[in-house]
Amino acid sequence: MTDIKTRIKTIIVEELNFEDLKPEEIPDDIPLFGDGLGLDSLDAVELVVQIQKHFGVKIQNMDEGRAAFRSINALEAFISERLNG
Amino acid sequence: MKPGKPVAVTGMGCICAAGSDLAACMTSLFTGNPNPGPPRRFTSDHPNPYPVFELTASVLSGLSREQNLSLTATLGIATARQALEDAGWEPEALRRIRTGVCIGTTVGCTMNDEGFYRIYRSGKPPDLTPIRRFFNSNPAASIAKAFDLEGPCQALVNACCSGTDAIGIGASWIRQGLCDVVLAGGTDELSRVTYNGFISLMITDTGPCRPFDRDRKGLNLGEGSAVMVLESDRSCHLRKKAPRVFVMGYGSAADAYHLTAPKPDGAGLKKAIADALSSGGKTMSEVAYVGAHGTGTPDNDRVEARVLHELMPGVPFFSTKGHTGHTLGAAGAIQAVLVAAFLKAGRIPASAGFHTPDPELLIVPTVDSRMISGKIALSESLAFGGSNAALLLGIGENWI
Amino acid sequence: MKAILKGIGVVGGFGTGIQTLEKVLLNRGPTVESLAVPDPQTLGGQFFVPVDTRQIQDRFPSRALRRIDHFSRMALLAAVLALEDAGKPEVNDRMGVIVATGYGATRTTFAFLDSVLEGGDSCASPTLFSGSVHNTAAAQISMLMGICGPNLTVSRFDLSISEALVVALIWLAEGRVTSVLVGGVDEWCPVLGHCYHRFFGKNDLSPMRPLDPDRQSAVVAEGAAFFLLLPEEDRADGYGVIESVTTGCLRDDAPVLPEDALILLGADGHPVSARRYARFVPKNRKMAAYAPYYGSLPIGMGFDMAIAGLTLRRKRIFPMPEIAVKDVPIDTVPTDSVAWTGKVCCLKITPFDTYGMITLATQTGNPGN
Repeated sequence: MTDIKTRIKTIIVEELNFEDLKPEEIPDDIPLFGDGLGLDSLDAVELVVQIQKHFGVKIQNMDEGRAAFRSINALEAFISERLNG
Repeated sequence: MKPGKPVAVTGMGCICAAGSDLAACMTSLFTGNPNPGPPRRFTSDHPNPYPVFELTASVLSGLSREQNLSLTATLGIATARQALEDAGWEPEALRRIRTGVCIGTTVGCTMNDEGFYRIYRSGKPPDLTPIRRFFNSNPAASIAKAFDLEGPCQALVNACCSGTDAIGIGASWIRQGLCDVVLAGGTDELSRVTYNGFISLMITDTGPCRPFDRDRKGLNLGEGSAVMVLESDRSCHLRKKAPRVFVMGYGSAADAYHLTAPKPDGAGLKKAIADALSSGGKTMSEVAYVGAHGTGTPDNDRVEARVLHELMPGVPFFSTKGHTGHTLGAAGAIQAVLVAAFLKAGRIPASAGFHTPDPELLIVPTVDSRMISGKIALSESLAFGGSNAALLLGIGENWI
Repeated sequence: MKAILKGIGVVGGFGTGIQTLEKVLLNRGPTVESLAVPDPQTLGGQFFVPVDTRQIQDRFPSRALRRIDHFSRMALLAAVLALEDAGKPEVNDRMGVIVATGYGATRTTFAFLDSVLEGGDSCASPTLFSGSVHNTAAAQISMLMGICGPNLTVSRFDLSISEALVVALIWLAEGRVTSVLVGGVDEWCPVLGHCYHRFFGKNDLSPMRPLDPDRQSAVVAEGAAFFLLLPEEDRADGYGVIESVTTGCLRDDAPVLPEDALILLGADGHPVSARRYARFVPKNRKMAAYAPYYGSLPIGMGFDMAIAGLTLRRKRIFPMPEIAVKDVPIDTVPTDSVAWTGKVCCLKITPFDTYGMITLATQTGNPGN
């Protein structure tokens, strides 16, 4: 069973089309938006859909999303909490 | 841009959730209580039903439907007919002259029938009726065919700017002498594709939309159509028609910034407004009020308010989408027709859906309807992909 | 209202770039060949002419292209090539962008439906939705190339190119812009190909014979053709001048073809179309049909316009492919390269009894006249 972080990274590479990256090349703590990985608002809403699809976890609005999307670590923690909570 | 001649608007038609014709829409805008609700013509499995501004059953039953023609094209033909009647044009008389058709749409030109595709995906060969309907239903070509018109004929698919662009470009055809009459406007029906698409972008509200309000969450989709009859001064003189409303100018510019978010500094919108004014030979200070795009999304309203505050602080503005929803390809046309109607009536409405000022926006839309004696108004649109468009509309006796 | 045709960028079944197209025309081939696509739903499988857009990667970083689909890549590549061909003029807010398309971004349109049908409404992909809107290519062109002028997308099947040019000429005449990057793009997708075969029958893989009134030989293709237009007053050196663009309904007295012009027929392998051209274009007119070099697609007229530009510049008519003129009882079609200094008129007759006409001429006078 692939761990959550790896699954998130794979989603970013495959569904957000970062074809020049491998999942393992994405650091756990890099900021996903802005100067880090460089995702933008369209990636954010796409991630919401992909997380719903792959984990069954629903992000209700972008206020929730902003905190969860700070980094791979933050997103993993958010998803784990929802799955276990 | 050098100023061009004002182009007469001799007739208008409008069908949307606010009413089955322009008069009914005007009544709703000033006295109605908008009541968007979950879509009735289709279902979805979203846990929250996002309200839409759907045409009422009685409006739909008043349209003459053919199996081979989409609702989008049917609406376009119906409002073209209303506009021609308003202009006093007998359709047979139009056939004798070169008449252009310029119509904006989104849904109307897209081959994406879900039922057809569902069967295709299942491995069976689907019935081709939806495809035949698609080929038969280009909104501009359908209007040209319905009235047997010959002249330039375009469907503009410029997302939410399409309707504004259609009227601006139609007016250009007349100024450049391509034709003496143009049917210009926009049309779009609700569809599961746009419904699901906008929900996926997280820019739809689970309640009625609240343009420019502090607590706005997003847009409500709508459906409808609006058409203007634009006419050259030569044609007006020949028909002894003294128009009162005119398309004075038109501007268009791209943000070149992002596929779905407007440029924060509103540079494209400012350029479009500047070009609309210069092509109309008018200055910012002459603008009496602005029909804003005002979808109710956090981003759009923020950018639009910023631009309006910078360019025209103190000039009243409103969104009509609290009564019509966001009708996509039709939006700019419905809005322009309503602004033109407001000019004729000398009255502007309250901006429906607005209750609480947003301190970030620095300006607020109209909170009640009022009489207003201005002669010039702006009607503007912002679109996905970063297009911005603005029309300058004017009222007067002797513009031509 | 006239305009100078200053730059041409094309990408299609023949390859990439106006020089590649010119080589194909000079060599009298190859004609387009289809790629077979197995499709259990389409009897005999599907065939179309694919377009390779890899050259776009030489011009933009891969991150910038990350979300740009095949449809927009074709348009972007052709648009960039047009500007390169024109000598890389400055881009700013006085340059307009107009994109014509018959079907829009069909692959992404159906991919969006896939996301809904596979995962439910809540799994609709916002990226695919925003990429499926018709104006996505025009938006990508403006974003990646930094063009902030007026931006428009038009769609009217086979007349999309003509209608886009009408607006382009108007914008230049009004002074709304000082140049226009205008063109068309259409892509193949499996659903389109399936519908094609349901309507027109199994493709027998014979080469395209556009003037044959009895055989269905259209080859489904995709591609993009873009042009940089300047106002006639600029007197810049280009391929030629676009003299007029008209559209109308077929009648006994329409279209009226310009006198003494070479007529490029938009006939693309549909027998009904061949019969219509035979009816409305007198046999004694000099004519050619080059669709075998680029295939059948709504914006095919864009490729005819590119070939018209090349014809004017070379002052020679390119021969039609050999197979396309064999047994054709018209002796005014070119089987050899022939000198030509007259006008060139691209004529597209549609299945809807309408037509579009683009007339080009050589530029007269020298700069400074």
